Amino acid sequence: MTRQAPTSQAREVARAAARWLAMIESGEEGVDHAALQHWRDSHAEHEAAWQKAQQLRQRFASVPLSLGMATLDRPVLARRAVLKRALGVAALVPTAWLLGRELPLEVWRADLHTATGEQRRWTLVDGSTLQLNTDSAVDLDLKARRLELLRGEIFLRVAGSTPLAVRGPYGVITINRGEACIRLDERTCQASVLSGSVQLQPLRGPSVMLEAGQQVDLQASGAGPVSAFDVAQLGWRDGVLVAQNQPLADFLRELDRYRPGVLRWDSALEALRVTGSFRLDNTDRILALLAASLPLEVQMRTRYWVTLTPRKNIA
Amino acid sequence: MLDAAKPAEHALHALYRDHGGWLEGWLRRRMGNAWDAADLRQDTFLRVLSSAQPLAELQEPRAYLLTVGKRLLSNFYTRRNLEQAYLDALANLPEACVPSAEERWLLLETLHALDELLAGLPPLVRRAFLWSQLEGLGYRDIAERLQVSERTVKRYMAQAYEHCLLVEL
Repeated sequence: MTRQAPTSQAREVARAAARWLAMIESGEEGVDHAALQHWRDSHAEHEAAWQKAQQLRQRFASVPLSLGMATLDRPVLARRAVLKRALGVAALVPTAWLLGRELPLEVWRADLHTATGEQRRWTLVDGSTLQLNTDSAVDLDLKARRLELLRGEIFLRVAGSTPLAVRGPYGVITINRGEACIRLDERTCQASVLSGSVQLQPLRGPSVMLEAGQQVDLQASGAGPVSAFDVAQLGWRDGVLVAQNQPLADFLRELDRYRPGVLRWDSALEALRVTGSFRLDNTDRILALLAASLPLEVQMRTRYWVTLTPRKNIA
Repeated sequence: MLDAAKPAEHALHALYRDHGGWLEGWLRRRMGNAWDAADLRQDTFLRVLSSAQPLAELQEPRAYLLTVGKRLLSNFYTRRNLEQAYLDALANLPEACVPSAEERWLLLETLHALDELLAGLPPLVRRAFLWSQLEGLGYRDIAERLQVSERTVKRYMAQAYEHCLLVEL
């Protein structure tokens, strides 16, 4: 198979044949079959292009549906990754922050994950949206309408009328045409509903219905009390970490999720308070901002070994 | 004919001698695998040999080799990536539907050819065309799935056909 710049005439013929094919396949009324026959008969190249198209269709028809779709319609991501790797571009992209870019995921089943500091967002085949926060992993099976949350935090917008069940270690969270965030920590799976309605079935105890603006912690012992939550908590979906007069220790624990390596701080700092919106695509910059606005110093032995200490008063 | 090829062959030898090792080194660093890198080095020179580019006139031979090599490297990964998707799909097939070893190989060749044929099409056009060709889906259904108008689907299909017809099979 070769690709050479086609002559303008070849291009013209291909375009005409392509238009005829699309017109006939579209099933629209009033296709002039006599005119098509005339076009084919009028020039040997026209007929050759027509025959070539028929061969092409036969070639596709010889491929079993399931194998053909799975291979030829494999995720764009995989195809792009290939290009990047081949061209060596991957090394130039700092971290795979894909904010503002929503990639179509064209398969029904997939194991998806993100690295520390990485976020990804996909449109699923059924029109739903799935976003993975830092260091997260899921197994997705859209045919079975099931998603297994293995690690980390996700945002899910379920489109269409068929609910999607998110399974975690402490129960099943069923989202019924709506939006929710689900976060899995060591001992807790937290569900926050942004819109629509969500049903929780803990491993133990009765099920709970949640409405928009409500949040519940699921644990091994069952579901905790329903509470309201601040949507700013979920700023990660837009790539920001939002703090409202937050104890520094809590803020740093959050920040730590987005940074590879070790982040430590002096306990004397824990009483300090943080307010602001911080862009997550550059966590070094967040540390620099903290140092600029609070009485603390950032000591970076390496990027992966960072300690925060009280700033020494300069006499 | 043979005599006319002589200077070209000579230039190729010189190119191979002077830059072959360098190219292989570049490929090895990229691929992390000496075997594949050596193969691809050969492929690159084969491709250079069959190209119309007069080698004696090359101003920057390394840049040229790299251009050819990168394209082959990209093909290499695309193919491997396709094979992986193919193997995954095979693994998920019910036992009764798994094709024989020979069929599997023929099918992979066909898929690879079709994949190369479709390369460069915009993702939505590609998907619409696959749905039409493989699933036999009508334009109206495709329009619904993609949330676009039927006219758009028709345009996508014409675009895909034109693209495929212009590639030499």
